[in-house]
Amino acid sequence: MLVAENLVKTFPGVRALDGATLTLQPGTVHALLGENGAGKSTLVKLLTGVYRPDGGRITLDGGELHLGGPLDAQRAGIGVVHQERNLIPAFSVAENIVLHHLPGRAGWLDRARMRAEARRCLDLLEVDLDPDTPVARLSVAQGQLVEIAKALSLDNKVLLLDEPTASLTGDEADRLYTVVRRLRDSGHAVVLVSHKLEEVFAVADTVTVLRDGRSVAEAEPLAGFTQGQIVDLMVGRAFASIELAERTVGEQAPPALRLDGVSTALGHRDVSLAVRPGEILGLYGLVGAGRSELAKAVLGLERITAGTVEVHGEPARIRNVGEALRRHRIGYVTEDRKDEGLFLEQPVTRNIAVTVWRRLARAGLVPDRRERALAETYVERLGIRVSSPRQLAGQLSGGNQQKVSLAKWLAADCDILIVDEPTVGIDVRTKAAFHELIAGLAAQGLALLLISSDLPEVVVLADRIAVMSDLRVVGELDNDHDYPRMSQQIIRLVHAETHVEGRVSAA
Amino acid sequence: MPLWANPRVGLVVLLVLLVALFSTIRPAFLDTRLTLTPLQSDISVYLVIGLAQMSVLSLGHMNMAVGRMAATSAFAMGLVHHTLGAGLLVSLFTGLVVGAGLGALAGLIISRTGVNSFVVTLAMDFALVGLITILYTGVVDGVAFPTMPAGMEALRFDTFADYCAGEICGPRIPLVAPFALAAALLTGLLFRWSRVGREILMTGSSPRAAELSGIPTRGRVVQAHALSGLLAALAGFLLAANNGAFSAGIGDGFLLPSFLAPVLGGTLLAGGAVSVLGTVLGATLTQVIYKGLNLLQFQLDRLQLYIGLVLLAALSLDRARHVLAGRREAAP
Repeated sequence: MLVAENLVKTFPGVRALDGATLTLQPGTVHALLGENGAGKSTLVKLLTGVYRPDGGRITLDGGELHLGGPLDAQRAGIGVVHQERNLIPAFSVAENIVLHHLPGRAGWLDRARMRAEARRCLDLLEVDLDPDTPVARLSVAQGQLVEIAKALSLDNKVLLLDEPTASLTGDEADRLYTVVRRLRDSGHAVVLVSHKLEEVFAVADTVTVLRDGRSVAEAEPLAGFTQGQIVDLMVGRAFASIELAERTVGEQAPPALRLDGVSTALGHRDVSLAVRPGEILGLYGLVGAGRSELAKAVLGLERITAGTVEVHGEPARIRNVGEALRRHRIGYVTEDRKDEGLFLEQPVTRNIAVTVWRRLARAGLVPDRRERALAETYVERLGIRVSSPRQLAGQLSGGNQQKVSLAKWLAADCDILIVDEPTVGIDVRTKAAFHELIAGLAAQGLALLLISSDLPEVVVLADRIAVMSDLRVVGELDNDHDYPRMSQQIIRLVHAETHVEGRVSAA
Repeated sequence: MPLWANPRVGLVVLLVLLVALFSTIRPAFLDTRLTLTPLQSDISVYLVIGLAQMSVLSLGHMNMAVGRMAATSAFAMGLVHHTLGAGLLVSLFTGLVVGAGLGALAGLIISRTGVNSFVVTLAMDFALVGLITILYTGVVDGVAFPTMPAGMEALRFDTFADYCAGEICGPRIPLVAPFALAAALLTGLLFRWSRVGREILMTGSSPRAAELSGIPTRGRVVQAHALSGLLAALAGFLLAANNGAFSAGIGDGFLLPSFLAPVLGGTLLAGGAVSVLGTVLGATLTQVIYKGLNLLQFQLDRLQLYIGLVLLAALSLDRARHVLAGRREAAP
């Protein structure tokens, strides 16, 4: 039994944990919940030796643990999948999985055994990946699966999963949870940190809720709570349901953005979509269905081999984001805010103004005053929490970063906005704020293409939902916002396609 | 940020201390004609070559060919004067165009092929070494042009004190100094306030995010490298003026100092941030150390050793200060 009692951890300027207690029984799946900044990841890092606690103690089966580093935790049988990537890009999948216990023979690496071990771990997750593929060539989701396989490769008594499904599809998450249940049944303790309450309720037995660094619910049976009660505990107040702006879709207006029979060099086939001004078109699909890639093809970042793209009824040949922005007023809020959406080492002002320097400039020079004024407008309008507009974007929390990533497109005054997974890894409250914001933009007459693999999000926000699977649009539905019915229809569409493509022949 | 945490402040303090030290041991250090004026000429050259490197450090790139870009441009300047009898300004202009062209070529190769800038410019440096030798042997059958455009002599020997309006004469500042100063001011303006300069910095900060924010990143890469080549050409011109000849050896000693000045001044190798003022101070500091130790009659090999040590100390101090400032900042 792993017990963390009254853990305290202070970082310069912040008390990240202030008396958090976690009690972990063998043979349980334990959910660790809390809003962004509540201290979940800090707690995970204390339990795995990444940080050392400033107060409190950690005991394993009665004996106190002094974790001086990640290796100590590993020796104690505590395995972890951190939220951040921890893979070495140049190494192969197999090398990464068995990195901490490379099988050797007389000082030489036993490659056959290494591959076999990696294969075994990947098979547990039913992942079809060549162990010799370099990790650099994997998608985000595949990388995540390799991380999990890596944690499985050691026979740990305790396994901590910090947001393991953030970039996984529903299918992949299901397979992961099957493994988690199997581990539980064989007596392991699994800690699950996740924002996705549906998943948590489906798989976890007990729950600890953190708020502002303290535990407000300690190892209580999850069955005693409803999702609403858990959210209340996390937020510390009754959860206000969001109110979305009323809007009317210009039925007569020509589509702001229309794709007609588009095929791409990446393999998209015959994709047709249309978004009208004031409308939100949901583009739902699993990771790997080719949604972001389709958006990038529209922006000219991937090659379109057939079909036409029309903007406001005019055929458009867009070659890059600059053209999309200036000639067609299309903005793209990327799903990968850290690598593609933000300049982490640059101040918030520049992150917001980067799309509009052309407009702000006088004779080629950009006055600081105008840039700052613009940034302040959006900091206020979106409620971005910054100590000063000069603060570096990398120092902000995930939710605030996402707002900055969106702000530059609002500043650019776009007509058409492609929003890719806007709320991945964002806490409940900020998520609701984002949904209100997106609905508000549509109410102002913007045409929105909402790419999301968050089913509730799509059903709440979209007017129509296009479902993508395997680089094709497999169906389009009018959304009546009735979640149980819509979600069933959508999932049926997704799975009907996978059956035809893959599973039937195997059966 | 507290004042002492600014990297430029540390450089100023170090400069003052060293000047005080050198002038105490050797009062001749403060002799204008003997020391200060030549010092300013040297600083001018190394400031401009530092700016040339800084222009591509802004992208997180390197220009390993700064020296040879300077030499090739100097050859072009000598050539148009030698064969066409071009004057000072035409020669200078030609050289700058050649430098910018070489830089742009490097930038174009880097942005089109995606090959690392270090590799591309290093290869270019090798190619140009050969080319320069061939060119000089072919054109003047030697290692230098025998003549220079009219006015180069004045740039070499005159100071503003030699030019008087009635009774009032200028200060003892060499004529090459304003060239370097103008280069620094314009480069500063570019990176601090112009849209293009900022877009170069953003490209250096994150090429992918820059592309997805609508910045024409390939163009910015080419422009930054062209600027680097242009400034290298200017540095070559100023050195030719100081030496009194357009020769094949111009730029031989440019590479390391080109990194020292900006890096001492707080420009990041990673890209995304530059400091022109820091580069000015960095170039000044290196040349003051060089001049001071020279005056103390250190032998050349010893000189190199001590300069290395002093710079290492300066950089470590800078790092310590940075870490301390970081802790201070994070504390409540």
